[in-house]
Amino acid sequence: MAANNSVNISFTVNGERFNNINVPSRQHLADYLRSQGFTGTHLGCEQGACGACTIEMDGKAVRSCLVLASQANGTNLKTVEGFDDEMMEKVKQNFLKHNAFQCGFCSPGMLMTTKEILLNKKKLTRDEIRSEISGNYCRCTGYQSIVDAIEECINEIN
Amino acid sequence: MKAADFSYHEAVNLQDAINIKAQDDEAVILAGGQSLLPALNMRLSSPTCLIDISKISGLNEIKIEEHTLFIGALATHSDVMSNKTVKDNMPYMIDILKMVAHPAIRNKGTHGGSIAYGDPAAELPALAVATNAEIIVSGQNGDRSINAKDFYLGLFETTINQDEIVVGIKYPLLKQGQNIVFDEVCRRHGDYAMAGLIANVMGSKNDIKDLKLVFFATGDKPDVADKTAELYLDNGYDYDKLKNSLSSEIDFAGDLNSSSEMKLHLATVLIKKVLSKLEI
Repeated sequence: MAANNSVNISFTVNGERFNNINVPSRQHLADYLRSQGFTGTHLGCEQGACGACTIEMDGKAVRSCLVLASQANGTNLKTVEGFDDEMMEKVKQNFLKHNAFQCGFCSPGMLMTTKEILLNKKKLTRDEIRSEISGNYCRCTGYQSIVDAIEECINEIN
Repeated sequence: MKAADFSYHEAVNLQDAINIKAQDDEAVILAGGQSLLPALNMRLSSPTCLIDISKISGLNEIKIEEHTLFIGALATHSDVMSNKTVKDNMPYMIDILKMVAHPAIRNKGTHGGSIAYGDPAAELPALAVATNAEIIVSGQNGDRSINAKDFYLGLFETTINQDEIVVGIKYPLLKQGQNIVFDEVCRRHGDYAMAGLIANVMGSKNDIKDLKLVFFATGDKPDVADKTAELYLDNGYDYDKLKNSLSSEIDFAGDLNSSSEMKLHLATVLIKKVLSKLEI
Protein backbone atom coordinates (compact mmCIF):
# COMPACT_ATOMS: atom_id res chain seq x y z
CA MET A 1 0.00 0.00 0.00
CA ALA A 2 1.31 3.42 -0.95
CA ALA A 3 -0.15 5.10 2.09
CA ASN A 4 2.10 6.30 4.90
CA ASN A 5 1.44 8.04 8.16
CA SER A 6 2.61 11.27 6.69
CA VAL A 7 1.94 12.62 3.22
CA ASN A 8 3.51 15.15 0.89
CA ILE A 9 1.15 17.78 -0.37
CA SER A 10 1.09 21.15 -2.12
CA PHE A 11 -1.37 24.02 -1.85
CA THR A 12 -1.69 27.78 -1.84
CA VAL A 13 -2.49 29.89 1.22
CA ASN A 14 -3.38 33.57 0.64
CA GLY A 15 -1.49 33.46 -2.65
CA GLU A 16 1.63 31.92 -1.09
CA ARG A 17 2.59 28.57 -2.59
CA PHE A 18 3.43 25.63 -0.29
CA ASN A 19 5.17 22.98 -2.39
CA ASN A 20 5.68 19.36 -1.49
CA ILE A 21 5.45 19.79 2.25
CA ASN A 22 5.30 16.80 4.57
CA VAL A 23 2.33 16.69 6.96
CA PRO A 24 1.24 13.99 9.43
CA SER A 25 -1.82 12.16 8.00
CA ARG A 26 -3.81 12.77 11.16
CA GLN A 27 -3.18 16.52 11.36
CA HIS A 28 -6.18 18.66 10.60
CA LEU A 29 -5.81 21.72 8.43
CA ALA A 30 -6.39 24.27 11.21
CA ASP A 31 -3.49 22.87 13.21
CA TYR A 32 -1.24 22.92 10.15
CA LEU A 33 -2.16 26.52 9.27
CA ARG A 34 -1.60 27.68 12.85
CA SER A 35 1.78 25.93 12.92
CA GLN A 36 2.75 28.01 9.88
CA GLY A 37 1.83 31.30 11.56
CA PHE A 38 -1.73 31.67 10.23
CA THR A 39 -2.98 32.02 13.78
CA GLY A 40 -5.98 34.09 12.71
CA THR A 41 -7.63 30.70 12.21
CA HIS A 42 -8.98 30.00 15.68
CA LEU A 43 -9.72 26.62 17.22
CA GLY A 44 -12.69 26.38 19.53
CA CYS A 45 -14.27 22.95 19.59
CA GLU A 46 -12.46 20.83 16.98
CA GLN A 47 -15.71 19.05 16.21
CA GLY A 48 -17.36 21.39 13.71
CA ALA A 49 -19.75 23.09 16.12
CA CYS A 50 -18.28 26.53 16.82
CA GLY A 51 -17.19 27.79 13.39
CA ALA A 52 -14.15 29.75 14.65
CA CYS A 53 -11.82 27.82 12.32
CA THR A 54 -13.84 28.54 9.16
CA ILE A 55 -11.57 29.28 6.19
CA GLU A 56 -12.07 29.43 2.44
CA MET A 57 -11.13 26.42 0.34
CA ASP A 58 -11.39 26.81 -3.43
CA GLY A 59 -13.80 29.70 -2.93
CA LYS A 60 -16.08 27.99 -0.41
CA ALA A 61 -16.26 28.34 3.37
CA VAL A 62 -15.25 25.15 5.18
CA ARG A 63 -14.35 24.14 8.71
CA SER A 64 -10.58 23.72 8.81
CA CYS A 65 -10.85 21.46 11.89
CA LEU A 66 -12.99 19.08 9.83
CA VAL A 67 -10.60 18.90 6.89
CA LEU A 68 -7.33 17.03 7.10
CA ALA A 69 -4.26 18.92 5.95
CA SER A 70 -3.73 16.05 3.50
CA GLN A 71 -7.17 16.68 1.97
CA ALA A 72 -6.07 20.21 1.09
CA ASN A 73 -3.65 18.85 -1.52
CA GLY A 74 -4.03 20.88 -4.71
CA THR A 75 -6.40 23.44 -3.24
CA ASN A 76 -6.37 27.20 -2.96
CA LEU A 77 -6.91 28.38 0.62
CA LYS A 78 -7.69 31.74 2.09
CA THR A 79 -7.50 32.54 5.80
CA VAL A 80 -8.57 35.71 7.59
CA GLU A 81 -5.02 37.09 7.08
CA GLY A 82 -5.75 37.13 3.35
CA PHE A 83 -8.76 39.41 3.69
CA ASP A 84 -7.27 42.54 2.24
CA ASP A 85 -9.55 43.30 -0.68
CA GLU A 86 -11.89 46.27 -0.86
CA MET A 87 -15.02 44.31 0.02
CA MET A 88 -13.49 42.78 3.13
CA GLU A 89 -12.09 46.14 4.24
CA LYS A 90 -15.65 47.47 4.20
CA VAL A 91 -16.87 44.43 6.11
CA LYS A 92 -14.22 45.00 8.78
CA GLN A 93 -15.21 48.69 9.04
CA ASN A 94 -18.86 47.72 9.49
CA PHE A 95 -17.93 45.16 12.17
CA LEU A 96 -15.96 47.91 13.98
CA LYS A 97 -18.77 50.43 13.62
CA HIS A 98 -21.35 48.09 15.15
CA ASN A 99 -19.02 46.66 17.80
CA ALA A 100 -19.36 43.22 16.23
CA PHE A 101 -15.82 42.31 17.26
CA GLN A 102 -15.94 42.00 21.02
CA CYS A 103 -13.42 39.53 22.39
CA GLY A 104 -12.54 38.67 18.80
CA PHE A 105 -12.43 34.92 19.15
CA CYS A 106 -15.30 34.19 16.75
CA SER A 107 -14.40 37.04 14.38
CA PRO A 108 -12.27 35.14 11.81
CA GLY A 109 -15.09 32.65 11.31
CA MET A 110 -17.76 35.36 11.31
CA LEU A 111 -15.85 37.36 8.67
CA MET A 112 -15.41 34.24 6.54
CA THR A 113 -19.13 33.47 6.75
CA THR A 114 -19.99 37.11 6.01
CA LYS A 115 -17.83 36.93 2.91
CA GLU A 116 -19.73 33.90 1.67
CA ILE A 117 -23.06 35.65 2.36
CA LEU A 118 -21.93 38.71 0.38
CA LEU A 119 -20.61 36.66 -2.54
CA ASN A 120 -24.04 35.07 -2.91
CA LYS A 121 -25.35 38.64 -3.40
CA LYS A 122 -28.72 37.82 -1.92
CA LYS A 123 -30.78 40.30 0.04
CA LEU A 124 -31.42 38.61 3.38
CA THR A 125 -33.80 39.36 6.24
CA ARG A 126 -32.38 39.52 9.76
CA ASP A 127 -33.78 36.04 10.43
CA GLU A 128 -32.07 34.73 7.31
CA ILE A 129 -28.78 36.35 8.40
CA ARG A 130 -29.12 34.55 11.74
CA SER A 131 -29.71 31.27 9.94
CA GLU A 132 -26.62 31.86 7.72
CA ILE A 133 -24.40 32.50 10.76
CA SER A 134 -26.02 29.72 12.81
CA GLY A 135 -22.82 27.69 12.43
CA ASN A 136 -20.68 30.36 14.10
CA TYR A 137 -20.86 30.67 17.84
CA CYS A 138 -20.29 34.01 19.57
CA ARG A 139 -20.27 34.02 23.37
CA CYS A 140 -20.05 37.82 23.84
CA THR A 141 -22.20 39.93 21.62
CA GLY A 142 -25.55 38.17 21.79
CA TYR A 143 -25.29 38.27 17.95
CA GLN A 144 -27.33 41.49 17.69
CA SER A 145 -24.33 43.64 16.76
CA ILE A 146 -23.03 41.03 14.31
CA VAL A 147 -26.39 40.85 12.56
CA ASP A 148 -26.40 44.69 12.45
CA ALA A 149 -22.97 44.71 10.81
CA ILE A 150 -23.82 42.03 8.25
CA GLU A 151 -27.12 43.74 7.46
CA GLU A 152 -25.29 46.98 6.70
CA CYS A 153 -22.79 45.12 4.48
CA ILE A 154 -25.65 43.53 2.53
CA ASN A 155 -27.41 46.88 2.13
CA GLU A 156 -24.20 48.46 0.85
CA ILE A 157 -23.65 45.93 -1.94
CA ASN A 158 -27.30 45.78 -3.04
CA MET B 1 -8.75 16.38 21.04
CA LYS B 2 -6.67 15.23 18.12
CA ALA B 3 -7.25 12.17 15.97
CA ALA B 4 -5.22 9.00 16.62
CA ASP B 5 -2.70 8.02 13.99
CA PHE B 6 -3.83 6.53 10.70
CA SER B 7 -2.46 6.26 7.22
CA TYR B 8 -3.98 8.28 4.40
CA HIS B 9 -4.48 7.20 0.83
CA GLU B 10 -5.82 9.45 -1.89
CA ALA B 11 -7.67 7.08 -4.21
CA VAL B 12 -7.00 7.73 -7.89
CA ASN B 13 -10.19 6.02 -9.03
CA LEU B 14 -13.06 3.92 -7.70
CA GLN B 15 -11.32 0.59 -8.39
CA ASP B 16 -8.26 1.75 -6.45
CA ALA B 17 -10.45 2.63 -3.45
CA ILE B 18 -12.33 -0.69 -3.64
CA ASN B 19 -9.08 -2.68 -3.81
CA ILE B 20 -7.62 -1.00 -0.72
CA LYS B 21 -10.85 -1.28 1.23
CA ALA B 22 -11.11 -4.99 0.37
CA GLN B 23 -7.60 -5.61 1.72
CA ASP B 24 -7.92 -3.73 5.00
CA ASP B 25 -11.03 -4.35 7.09
CA GLU B 26 -10.21 -1.42 9.36
CA ALA B 27 -9.85 1.08 6.55
CA VAL B 28 -12.56 3.72 6.34
CA ILE B 29 -13.77 5.76 3.38
CA LEU B 30 -13.32 9.52 3.65
CA ALA B 31 -15.59 11.61 1.43
CA GLY B 32 -16.49 15.03 2.90
CA GLY B 33 -15.49 13.96 6.39
CA GLN B 34 -17.99 16.19 8.17
CA SER B 35 -19.20 13.35 10.42
CA LEU B 36 -16.04 11.25 10.29
CA LEU B 37 -13.59 13.99 11.31
CA PRO B 38 -15.46 14.90 14.54
CA ALA B 39 -15.54 11.18 15.39
CA LEU B 40 -11.80 10.92 14.71
CA ASN B 41 -11.00 14.13 16.64
CA MET B 42 -12.96 12.84 19.62
CA ARG B 43 -11.37 9.40 19.20
CA LEU B 44 -14.73 7.69 18.93
CA SER B 45 -13.27 6.02 15.88
CA SER B 46 -9.67 5.00 15.15
CA PRO B 47 -9.34 3.38 11.72
CA THR B 48 -5.99 2.13 10.41
CA CYS B 49 -6.33 3.90 7.11
CA LEU B 50 -8.48 6.60 5.52
CA ILE B 51 -9.20 6.15 1.85
CA ASP B 52 -9.95 9.59 0.47
CA ILE B 53 -12.40 9.23 -2.41
CA SER B 54 -13.22 12.94 -2.64
CA LYS B 55 -11.03 13.57 -5.69
CA ILE B 56 -12.45 10.72 -7.79
CA SER B 57 -14.18 12.30 -10.77
CA GLY B 58 -17.65 11.40 -12.01
CA LEU B 59 -19.15 10.54 -8.63
CA ASN B 60 -21.00 13.80 -8.09
CA GLU B 61 -23.45 13.62 -10.94
CA ILE B 62 -27.11 14.56 -10.40
CA LYS B 63 -29.53 13.39 -13.08
CA ILE B 64 -32.95 11.97 -13.89
CA GLU B 65 -32.77 8.27 -14.69
CA GLU B 66 -35.75 5.95 -15.33
CA HIS B 67 -38.32 7.77 -13.15
CA THR B 68 -35.78 8.34 -10.42
CA LEU B 69 -33.56 11.20 -9.37
CA PHE B 70 -30.01 9.92 -9.13
CA ILE B 71 -27.67 11.77 -6.77
CA GLY B 72 -24.00 10.79 -7.03
CA ALA B 73 -22.33 9.97 -3.71
CA LEU B 74 -19.84 12.85 -3.84
CA ALA B 75 -22.38 15.61 -4.54
CA THR B 76 -22.10 17.93 -1.54
CA HIS B 77 -25.21 19.12 0.28
CA SER B 78 -24.55 22.58 -1.20
CA ASP B 79 -24.32 21.06 -4.71
CA VAL B 80 -27.68 19.33 -4.23
CA MET B 81 -29.34 22.44 -2.79
CA SER B 82 -28.31 24.61 -5.72
CA ASN B 83 -29.05 22.02 -8.42
CA LYS B 84 -31.83 22.85 -10.86
CA THR B 85 -32.80 19.22 -11.53
CA VAL B 86 -33.32 18.73 -7.78
CA LYS B 87 -35.23 21.99 -7.48
CA ASP B 88 -37.54 21.04 -10.36
CA ASN B 89 -38.12 17.43 -9.36
CA MET B 90 -37.58 17.09 -5.62
CA PRO B 91 -37.96 20.55 -4.06
CA TYR B 92 -38.57 19.06 -0.59
CA MET B 93 -35.00 17.70 -0.67
CA ILE B 94 -33.70 21.28 -0.54
CA ASP B 95 -35.86 22.10 2.50
CA ILE B 96 -34.66 18.97 4.26
CA LEU B 97 -31.00 19.79 3.54
CA LYS B 98 -31.48 23.25 5.08
CA MET B 99 -31.84 21.39 8.38
CA VAL B 100 -28.55 19.55 7.88
CA ALA B 101 -25.89 21.41 9.89
CA HIS B 102 -24.66 24.80 8.62
CA PRO B 103 -23.52 26.28 5.27
CA ALA B 104 -19.77 25.69 5.84
CA ILE B 105 -20.44 22.04 6.69
CA ARG B 106 -22.85 21.60 3.77
CA ASN B 107 -20.10 22.88 1.45
CA LYS B 108 -18.01 19.83 2.28
CA GLY B 109 -20.39 17.12 3.54
CA THR B 110 -21.51 14.69 0.83
CA HIS B 111 -24.84 13.06 0.07
CA GLY B 112 -23.39 9.56 -0.15
CA GLY B 113 -21.36 10.08 3.00
CA SER B 114 -24.43 10.88 5.05
CA ILE B 115 -26.28 7.88 3.59
CA ALA B 116 -23.36 5.50 4.19
CA TYR B 117 -22.49 6.74 7.68
CA GLY B 118 -26.01 5.81 8.85
CA ASP B 119 -26.24 8.22 11.77
CA PRO B 120 -29.67 7.50 13.31
CA ALA B 121 -30.13 11.23 13.98
CA ALA B 122 -29.39 12.27 10.39
CA GLU B 123 -32.11 13.34 7.98
CA LEU B 124 -30.95 11.69 4.73
CA PRO B 125 -31.06 8.02 5.82
CA ALA B 126 -34.65 8.59 7.01
CA LEU B 127 -35.50 10.33 3.74
CA ALA B 128 -34.06 7.44 1.75
CA VAL B 129 -36.20 4.97 3.72
CA ALA B 130 -39.31 7.18 3.53
CA THR B 131 -39.05 7.58 -0.25
CA ASN B 132 -38.17 3.94 -0.91
CA ALA B 133 -34.83 4.96 -2.42
CA GLU B 134 -32.28 2.53 -3.79
CA ILE B 135 -28.69 2.82 -2.60
CA ILE B 136 -26.18 1.90 -5.29
CA VAL B 137 -22.92 0.40 -4.06
CA SER B 138 -19.89 -0.66 -6.04
CA GLY B 139 -17.51 -3.47 -5.04
CA GLN B 140 -15.17 -6.13 -6.36
CA ASN B 141 -18.10 -7.97 -7.95
CA GLY B 142 -19.51 -4.87 -9.61
CA ASP B 143 -22.52 -2.78 -8.65
CA ARG B 144 -25.56 -3.75 -6.63
CA SER B 145 -28.63 -1.86 -5.58
CA ILE B 146 -29.98 -2.08 -2.03
CA ASN B 147 -33.38 -0.79 -0.95
CA ALA B 148 -32.91 1.80 1.80
CA LYS B 149 -35.18 -0.10 4.22
CA ASP B 150 -32.83 -3.11 4.00
CA PHE B 151 -29.66 -1.00 4.10
CA TYR B 152 -29.77 0.13 7.73
CA LEU B 153 -29.24 -2.58 10.33
CA GLY B 154 -28.49 -0.69 13.54
CA LEU B 155 -26.37 2.04 15.09
CA PHE B 156 -24.01 3.21 12.28
CA GLU B 157 -24.43 -0.28 10.87
CA THR B 158 -25.38 -1.02 7.26
CA THR B 159 -25.48 -4.02 4.95
CA ILE B 160 -22.54 -2.69 2.96
CA ASN B 161 -19.75 -5.24 2.49
CA GLN B 162 -16.10 -4.58 3.31
CA ASP B 163 -15.12 -4.10 -0.33
CA GLU B 164 -18.10 -1.90 -1.22
CA ILE B 165 -18.52 1.86 -1.52
CA VAL B 166 -21.74 3.85 -1.93
CA VAL B 167 -21.66 5.46 -5.38
CA GLY B 168 -25.11 7.02 -5.57
CA ILE B 169 -28.72 7.07 -4.44
CA LYS B 170 -31.81 6.71 -6.63
CA TYR B 171 -34.91 8.45 -5.32
CA PRO B 172 -38.17 7.53 -7.06
CA LEU B 173 -39.84 10.63 -8.49
CA LEU B 174 -43.07 11.55 -6.71
CA LYS B 175 -46.31 10.42 -8.30
CA GLN B 176 -49.34 12.64 -8.78
CA GLY B 177 -50.88 13.35 -5.36
CA GLN B 178 -47.83 12.14 -3.44
CA ASN B 179 -46.21 14.44 -0.88
CA ILE B 180 -43.17 14.39 1.38
CA VAL B 181 -43.67 16.40 4.58
CA PHE B 182 -41.30 16.58 7.52
CA ASP B 183 -40.19 18.39 10.61
CA GLU B 184 -37.80 17.95 13.49
CA VAL B 185 -37.27 19.30 16.98
CA CYS B 186 -33.76 20.43 17.85
CA ARG B 187 -32.24 22.71 20.43
CA ARG B 188 -30.55 25.01 17.93
CA HIS B 189 -30.94 25.39 14.17
CA GLY B 190 -28.55 22.97 12.46
CA ASP B 191 -28.06 20.71 15.47
CA TYR B 192 -28.87 17.05 15.30
CA ALA B 193 -32.56 16.57 16.02
CA MET B 194 -33.93 15.35 19.34
CA ALA B 195 -36.64 13.72 17.22
CA GLY B 196 -37.64 14.08 13.59
CA LEU B 197 -40.27 12.72 11.22
CA ILE B 198 -40.44 12.36 7.47
CA ALA B 199 -43.86 11.34 6.14
CA ASN B 200 -44.53 10.01 2.66
CA VAL B 201 -48.19 10.72 1.98
CA MET B 202 -50.50 9.80 -0.85
CA GLY B 203 -53.47 12.15 -0.84
CA SER B 204 -54.37 15.49 0.71
CA LYS B 205 -54.77 16.65 4.31
CA ASN B 206 -58.42 15.59 4.61
CA ASP B 207 -58.12 12.54 2.42
CA ILE B 208 -54.95 10.59 3.10
CA LYS B 209 -54.96 7.38 1.09
CA ASP B 210 -51.61 6.01 2.07
CA LEU B 211 -49.16 7.01 4.77
CA LYS B 212 -45.61 6.05 5.63
CA LEU B 213 -44.00 7.47 8.78
CA VAL B 214 -40.23 7.35 9.20
CA PHE B 215 -38.73 8.78 12.39
CA PHE B 216 -35.11 9.75 13.00
CA ALA B 217 -33.13 10.52 16.16
CA THR B 218 -35.50 8.13 17.92
CA GLY B 219 -33.78 4.73 17.92
CA ASP B 220 -30.65 3.17 16.45
CA LYS B 221 -31.64 3.63 12.79
CA PRO B 222 -34.41 5.23 10.70
CA ASP B 223 -37.58 3.93 12.40
CA VAL B 224 -40.52 3.00 10.19
CA ALA B 225 -43.85 3.07 12.05
CA ASP B 226 -46.35 1.27 9.81
CA LYS B 227 -48.77 0.22 12.56
CA THR B 228 -48.92 3.75 13.93
CA ALA B 229 -49.52 5.09 10.41
CA GLU B 230 -52.40 2.63 10.02
CA LEU B 231 -53.82 3.67 13.38
CA TYR B 232 -53.69 7.31 12.28
CA LEU B 233 -55.51 6.48 9.05
CA ASP B 234 -58.24 4.66 11.02
CA ASN B 235 -58.68 7.01 13.97
CA GLY B 236 -57.09 10.35 13.13
CA TYR B 237 -54.87 12.11 15.68
CA ASP B 238 -55.36 10.69 19.17
CA TYR B 239 -52.27 11.51 21.27
CA ASP B 240 -52.62 8.66 23.79
CA LYS B 241 -53.36 5.95 21.25
CA LEU B 242 -50.59 7.03 18.87
CA LYS B 243 -48.11 7.33 21.73
CA ASN B 244 -48.95 3.80 22.89
CA SER B 245 -48.57 2.51 19.40
CA LEU B 246 -45.22 4.26 18.85
CA SER B 247 -43.84 2.97 22.14
CA SER B 248 -44.58 -0.61 21.11
CA GLU B 249 -43.31 -0.13 17.57
CA ILE B 250 -40.05 1.81 18.14
CA ASP B 251 -37.29 1.07 20.61
CA PHE B 252 -36.69 4.66 21.73
CA ALA B 253 -33.12 5.35 22.83
CA GLY B 254 -32.45 8.43 24.95
CA ASP B 255 -29.36 10.59 24.50
CA LEU B 256 -27.70 13.55 26.24
CA ASN B 257 -30.36 16.04 25.20
CA SER B 258 -33.51 14.00 25.49
CA SER B 259 -34.66 10.91 27.36
CA SER B 260 -36.45 8.07 25.57
CA GLU B 261 -39.71 9.22 27.23
CA MET B 262 -39.20 12.73 25.85
CA LYS B 263 -38.40 11.39 22.38
CA LEU B 264 -41.60 9.34 22.48
CA HIS B 265 -43.60 12.47 23.31
CA LEU B 266 -41.86 14.53 20.60
CA ALA B 267 -42.38 11.78 18.01
CA THR B 268 -46.09 11.64 18.86
CA VAL B 269 -46.68 15.39 18.53
CA LEU B 270 -44.56 15.47 15.37
CA ILE B 271 -47.20 13.32 13.65
CA LYS B 272 -49.74 16.12 14.12
CA LYS B 273 -47.28 18.88 13.31
CA VAL B 274 -45.98 17.24 10.15
CA LEU B 275 -49.33 16.14 8.71
CA SER B 276 -50.80 19.61 9.33
CA LYS B 277 -48.37 20.85 6.68
CA LEU B 278 -50.27 18.97 3.97
CA GLU B 279 -52.47 20.95 1.65
CA ILE B 280 -56.21 20.51 2.03
